[in-house]
Amino acid sequence: MEQLTTSLTPRPATNKAPVAGSSQQSSGSVAKRLGNELMTLMMSASPGISAFPKNDGNLFEWVGTIEGAPGTVYAGLSFKIAISFPPNYPYVPPAIKFETPCFHPNVDINSGGICLDILQDKWSAVYSVQTILLSLQSLLGEPNNASPLNTDAAAIWNNQEAFKIHLLRHYRPLKDESA
Amino acid sequence: MASDALRSQVATKWQDAFKRLNNNQPGISGLLTFSESWTNTLDFVRPVNLKEGQSHKPEDLAVARKDFEMVNRCRRLPVCLEIFLDELRQKFYLVREDVDSYLAQYEQSEDPIHIYNLIFRLKEWYDAWLPSEELGATIRNAFILSFQTQLYSILGPTFVKGFKDFIASTLPSSDPEMSDKAPDIEMWVIFEMLGFLDRYESIIASAGYEHIEAHVLENCAGQWATPMMDSLRAWMSEKIVPWMLLMYGREAATTDDARVMLANVGSRFDFHMAKTLCDLRTREIFDIIVDYPDSAGALHDLKDCLQRVDQRGALVKSLRKANRKRLLHPGADTRLILSQYVATIKCLRIVDPPGVLLFKVADPIRRYLRERPDTIRCIVSNLVGDEDSGDSLVDESEPIVPLQQPDIEDYTDPNWEPEPIDAGPVQTNRPSDVISTLVSIYDSKDLFVKELQVLLAQRLLAITDDNVEKVDKERRNIEILKIRFGEAALQVCEVMLKDMTDSKRIDGHVQSQKASIVHPTIISRQFWPMLESSEIVMPGQFQVLQDQYAKEFIAFKPDKRLRWLPHLGTVHLELQLEDRTVEADVPPLEAAFIELFSGQSIWKMNDLITAVGSVDRSAALKALLTWVDKGVLKEDEPGTFRLLEIAEEASPTRDSSRIVPAQQEIPPVASLQQQQAEQMKIYWKFIEGMLTNLGQLPLDRIQTMLKFAPGYDQTVEQLAGFMEAARREGLVAVKDGIWKLTPK
Repeated sequence: MEQLTTSLTPRPATNKAPVAGSSQQSSGSVAKRLGNELMTLMMSASPGISAFPKNDGNLFEWVGTIEGAPGTVYAGLSFKIAISFPPNYPYVPPAIKFETPCFHPNVDINSGGICLDILQDKWSAVYSVQTILLSLQSLLGEPNNASPLNTDAAAIWNNQEAFKIHLLRHYRPLKDESA
Repeated sequence: MASDALRSQVATKWQDAFKRLNNNQPGISGLLTFSESWTNTLDFVRPVNLKEGQSHKPEDLAVARKDFEMVNRCRRLPVCLEIFLDELRQKFYLVREDVDSYLAQYEQSEDPIHIYNLIFRLKEWYDAWLPSEELGATIRNAFILSFQTQLYSILGPTFVKGFKDFIASTLPSSDPEMSDKAPDIEMWVIFEMLGFLDRYESIIASAGYEHIEAHVLENCAGQWATPMMDSLRAWMSEKIVPWMLLMYGREAATTDDARVMLANVGSRFDFHMAKTLCDLRTREIFDIIVDYPDSAGALHDLKDCLQRVDQRGALVKSLRKANRKRLLHPGADTRLILSQYVATIKCLRIVDPPGVLLFKVADPIRRYLRERPDTIRCIVSNLVGDEDSGDSLVDESEPIVPLQQPDIEDYTDPNWEPEPIDAGPVQTNRPSDVISTLVSIYDSKDLFVKELQVLLAQRLLAITDDNVEKVDKERRNIEILKIRFGEAALQVCEVMLKDMTDSKRIDGHVQSQKASIVHPTIISRQFWPMLESSEIVMPGQFQVLQDQYAKEFIAFKPDKRLRWLPHLGTVHLELQLEDRTVEADVPPLEAAFIELFSGQSIWKMNDLITAVGSVDRSAALKALLTWVDKGVLKEDEPGTFRLLEIAEEASPTRDSSRIVPAQQEIPPVASLQQQQAEQMKIYWKFIEGMLTNLGQLPLDRIQTMLKFAPGYDQTVEQLAGFMEAARREGLVAVKDGIWKLTPK
C-alpha cells in the first residue's frame, strides 16, 4: 500500500525530464534504424506489402499497405495500416492498427487493433517493419482462432463463403485508393 | 557759376602744382626743366619697335636716371606709368604680329622649333620693353603683369598645343641611342620670366605624363619575364627627375631643398607611372596568366602597382571579361579551362595573397566548370597523373597536403594578412593548395572519390599482361591521393588494387592445379564501379576454357562464385587456315565470331549475333570488319560473311562507301552518369513506396519525402524530369500537379 501511494503522485513529474532527455538522445539512433528499415523495405520489393513515413521529417509515424495474399479470402483487397514507433523502438514493438476496416478474427473491426503475439509479448528487437508486414499478411490468410478479438469472424471462419460476404460488407477502401 | 571761394581754391592748387613742377626755380625755368625730363623719361620707357631696329642707347642711362628723379620729385610718376602702360597696350600689336607669324609657321610644319623660336622672340620683346631697374620695382612689376596679361590674351589654343609639343621635345628621349641634349636652362628661365611655368603647369605636367606613358608602353608591353618596376623607377630618377628639377626645383639651392620641392610632384609622377603600368598589365592580364610561370615578373609588378594605385576593381573586371570572352565558351577544352584556372589561382596568389581578387575572378569560372560534364574526370585524371595529359595541373613541387577546409583562418600563420578592404562579406577562400581549390568547385569530395574509382577501374582493366609496374604505379598514386582525401575515402580503391594482386595469386594457384590459357582478372563486384554488362556467350572452346577455369576457382575458393565478363579482355589467337596461319590479338567478340566460323564457313550477320547472345549490331559489324581487314573473312553480299580458307587477292581498297559506323571506344566501366541513372532506380522505389502508401502526392511533397532516401541530391526540376519520364512509361499519372501510381 505504501508502495502504491509513493508511486502515485510525484513520480510522473520527476521522471519525465530524464525520459524525454534520453529519448531525444536515442532518437538519433532510432531514426537511423528506421531509415535503414525503410531502405531495406524499399529495396526488397516483397509483393503486396509496403510502408512509408506519413510526413517528411517524422520517421516515427508510417502508413503501411497490405494486399491480401492470392488464394486467400482477402485476395484482391488492400488494407491500410497505421504504424507508430515508440521512442525506444526497437526494444518495444510499434503500435499497429488497421485503418481500413478489416473483418478478421484477430482484428478489432471498430478500433483496428490487432491481436498478434509478435506485436505484444513475443516482440524481439530483431524484427523489423518488413517482418511485421509479412506476419500481418500471413495472419490475414491464417488467423489464430484460439484467441479471437472478433468472435463473429472467428465463428464463421470455417465457412469461407459466408466469411467473404461479411468481409466485403465491412470492407471500405480508403478514399485515396478509390480516387 | 563758380563762386569766388572755388575760384581762389583752384588758384591755390594751380599755384602749388606750378611750384612743385617749377621746383622753386625762377620764372618758368624749373617748369621747362621738368618738361624736358618728362619727355625724356617717356621716351626712355616707350616700347620700341624691334622690327625697326630701335634700341635704347646705353649712354642715356645716366641722363635718364636724372630725368626720372625729376619726374619722381614732381610726383608725376603715376601718370608716367599710366602713359607707359597705355603705350605698351598700343604697341602690343607688334608682338602679336610676331606671335602670329611663328604660330602660322608652326601650324604648317608642326615643328616645335618654331615654338622655341617664338619663345626666344618673346624674350627679346620682353627685354626690350622691360623698364630699367633704376626706375624702381613698381613700374617693373606693373610692366610684367601687363605684358603677361597681354601676352596670354593673344596666345590661343594653337600655342597651347605647340607648347606641349615643344615641352615634350625637351623631355629626355627614351631612345638610348640618342645622346641627351644638355638641358636648356636658359629656356626655363625664359619660361619663368614669361610666367609660363605657373600658367601652363598642367600642360607641362601632362606632357610629362604622356612621355612616361609612352615610355612605359614601349618598354613594358608584352615584356613579362622580369619585373619592370625597378628599371622604370631607375629611368624616372635618371631621366625624368633632372627634367622635373628644371621645372619644379628651379629655386632649390641645395639638393635637400630640391628633394622637398619634388616630393609632392614626384609622387604624382610616380603614381602616374604606376597607374600606366597597372593599366597596361590589367589589359594584358589574361595573356600574362596564359604565359605563367614565364610571366612572373609582370605579376610582381602588378602587385607593386596595386599597392600604389587602387585598380583592383578594374583588374577583376578586365579579367572577368577576358575570361568570359576567351575561356568560358563551348570552344574551349575543359582541360584548358582547368589549366587556365589553375594558372589564375597561382598568378592571383602572387598579386593578392589574401585571395580576395581570386575569389572574385574565380567565381564565374567555377560556376562554369560545375556545369561541364567532364570537369571531374579531367581533374581526377590529372590527380592520378594520366600519361596522355601533357602538362599536369598540379605542380610537382607543391607539397601534398590533406584537403583543407577552406574557411579556417589560421591566425598563427606568421604571414597572415588582414583582408583587403574590398573583400566582400562572403568568407573568401583563403589560399589553399590547388587541388583543394579544384575539389572545392563541387560541394562534396564524394563525387571525386567516385569518379576516381571509375577511372582507376578503367586503368586497371586496361592493364594487360602481368604488368606489375603499372599496378605499382597506380598504387603509388592512390597512396598519394590518400593523403589528400583521407584513408577512409579511398578504401574502395585499395580493395580494387588488392583485387589485382589477388587475381595474380589466384591465377597462379589455379594454373598450378590445372594449366589454362585463361588469365582472368578477378574483381570484387561490391567494390568496383558498375561494369558494363554484356550478354555475350562465348562459343565453342572459349566456353570450355571458362568453365574449366571456373571449376578450379570454385575448388580453391568454395565460398566465391566466378561471374565472367566475357566482353572484356583480349584474346590472342592463332588461326590455322588451309594455306596460312594468322595470328592476332583481338577483343573477345572478334574471337567469338571467328570461333563460330570454325564450324561453318558462311554466316549471316544476324545469325552470328544470335549465336553469341546479343550484341549491338554496330559492334558486331565492327568485329567482323576487323577480320575482313585481316583478309580472313569476306563479305560476299551485305550481311553475309565467308571464311577465306585460301587467301584471296583482297581488293586493296575496301568499298569505301561502306563506312564503318564510328563506334566510340566505350569505357568498360559505367560512367558517373550511368551510375546516377542506377541511383535514380533506387529513388524510384521510394517514390513507388510513398505513392502506394500515401496515395497521391504533389511534386514538392515527393521531393521532400525523398529525403528519406539516402544520398538523395536531385533538384526538384530533375525530379520533375524523372517523373515525366516515368509517366511516359505509364508508371504514374498526373492530374492537376498531383502524382499517383497507375493501377497495375
